[in-house]
Amino acid sequence: GDMLQKPRSRGRPNSQAERERDWGRGAAEEAPSTSRGAGSSQEARSASSQGSRRAEASPEVGPRSQQQLELKVAELVQFLLIKDQKKIPIKRTDILKHVIGDYKDIFPDLLKLAAERLEYVFGYKLVELEPKSNTYILINTLEPVEEDAEVRGDQGTPTTGLLMIVLGLIFMKGNTIKETEVWDFLRRLGVYPTKKHLVFGDPKKLITEEFVRQRYLEYRRIPHTDPVDYELQWGPRTNLETSKMKVLKFVAKVHNQDPKDWPAQYCEALADEEARARPETSGPAPSS
Amino acid sequence: MTDVHRRFLQLLMTHGVLEEWDVRRLQKHCYRVHDRTAAVEELEDFINNINSVLESLYIEIKKGATEDDGRPVYALVNLATTSVSKMASDFAENELDLFRKALELIIDSETGFASSTNILNLVDQLKGKKMRKKEAEQVLQKFVQNKWLIEKEGEFTLHSRAILEMEQYIRETYPDAVKICNICHSLLIQGQSCETCGIRMHLPCVAKYFQSNSEPRCPHCNDYWPHEIPEVFDPEKEREAATSRATKRSLRSRQH
Repeated sequence: GDMLQKPRSRGRPNSQAERERDWGRGAAEEAPSTSRGAGSSQEARSASSQGSRRAEASPEVGPRSQQQLELKVAELVQFLLIKDQKKIPIKRTDILKHVIGDYKDIFPDLLKLAAERLEYVFGYKLVELEPKSNTYILINTLEPVEEDAEVRGDQGTPTTGLLMIVLGLIFMKGNTIKETEVWDFLRRLGVYPTKKHLVFGDPKKLITEEFVRQRYLEYRRIPHTDPVDYELQWGPRTNLETSKMKVLKFVAKVHNQDPKDWPAQYCEALADEEARARPETSGPAPSS
Repeated sequence: MTDVHRRFLQLLMTHGVLEEWDVRRLQKHCYRVHDRTAAVEELEDFINNINSVLESLYIEIKKGATEDDGRPVYALVNLATTSVSKMASDFAENELDLFRKALELIIDSETGFASSTNILNLVDQLKGKKMRKKEAEQVLQKFVQNKWLIEKEGEFTLHSRAILEMEQYIRETYPDAVKICNICHSLLIQGQSCETCGIRMHLPCVAKYFQSNSEPRCPHCNDYWPHEIPEVFDPEKEREAATSRATKRSLRSRQH
């Protein structure tokens, strides 16, 4: 091993060394130090020229060093990775509050740089959940393989099996299905809404809450039903992470058949594939 | 940067910390998926190449060793200490404060261990929502499950994951209390110390330094080194032991 600690060529910004660092403060705290002290080295000239244009006093926005920008992008990349691990879509407001802070004026550039790094380094694509939703998720550009499960550190998600089954049910039934129909089917597999499951825990909570929160499913009450019934449809994340064709192939595999054995669904899946092949207009850049 | 490296990073990130043998397995898996024909690069070079790309993101794949038996371990660590940290995102304010309290007790202790009782007695001083001792016990177990702490007979010390991730933070926050190994100059939580001059060394550093030395003496004051010298970690022996354990297990399971 190293006998001597090599001084890091990339020193952290000085202001951080002086402040009391508190890694445990958590998301409730303000954005970290790079947003402060940015004005410490700036010239008075640039400050006053900006002040004369704006009526209110805003935090000094002088020239920021290359290192400060780099650090900001690094923080943003980390934030997005951590948030996405929980599979909760990331709100733009949270990004601004917890990471961007005083760098709000260059938020689009920071996000673009972060998105580039995420894709180049990790193979994750930053996409907006729906146009103008101002929420983001990460899509894996690498195809998961079965053997990944053997080298992963987390459970991956044993629950994805259940999700795929539900997605399959929804698609095969014409893109919408009643909750009661879902349970009629799942009961045959030994999965009940009211009974704790060895693998899935609380299947009802998983399907109607967890998957909905992760935006894989949409869960809506059907009006005028008595007893109350709900309908389930694909959520916006599903269309981004998988496709009708992939889900159809999954269903076919489960039945040991060919996707073409369901001509209506196969046609629909093909049309969906063609629509996807057309050039996309949406990207990670935030909508104004 | 190729898909081999990307898949490696993605899967490495699912582990808080990973032993070297498993890191090699992971590397081979990624080659198998993306580039079957290529020769698997030497792990050290492979990791250095990835680290040169990670540098601009202020993260790195850091190599360390377990303090008790010197197993090489790897973790993806954050080099710029900011409020965005893996631990901060998984725990509530009072839970993080409990960890901080445990951390302080561990650093201040002579053995590198803090007793459960001493940690739990600080429960009233925690920031955030009030926590009862019963709850605190469960939070400590959560820390163990997530590989931030190790528990041995009712006492807690830092997991190699925590040491790798927080070394910088610990050295800067507790500059007076922190202990450093005389051999590798890294943070020391558990180790042996010279009873005469007080210098400390990690157990694996002791093992390497005094290897095949029949008369171990303190590198600083030359006094006789009074402690038992541990064995240097041998990955080959470890793998043999692991495979023989696995074979015994599968033989047993086949019996019914």
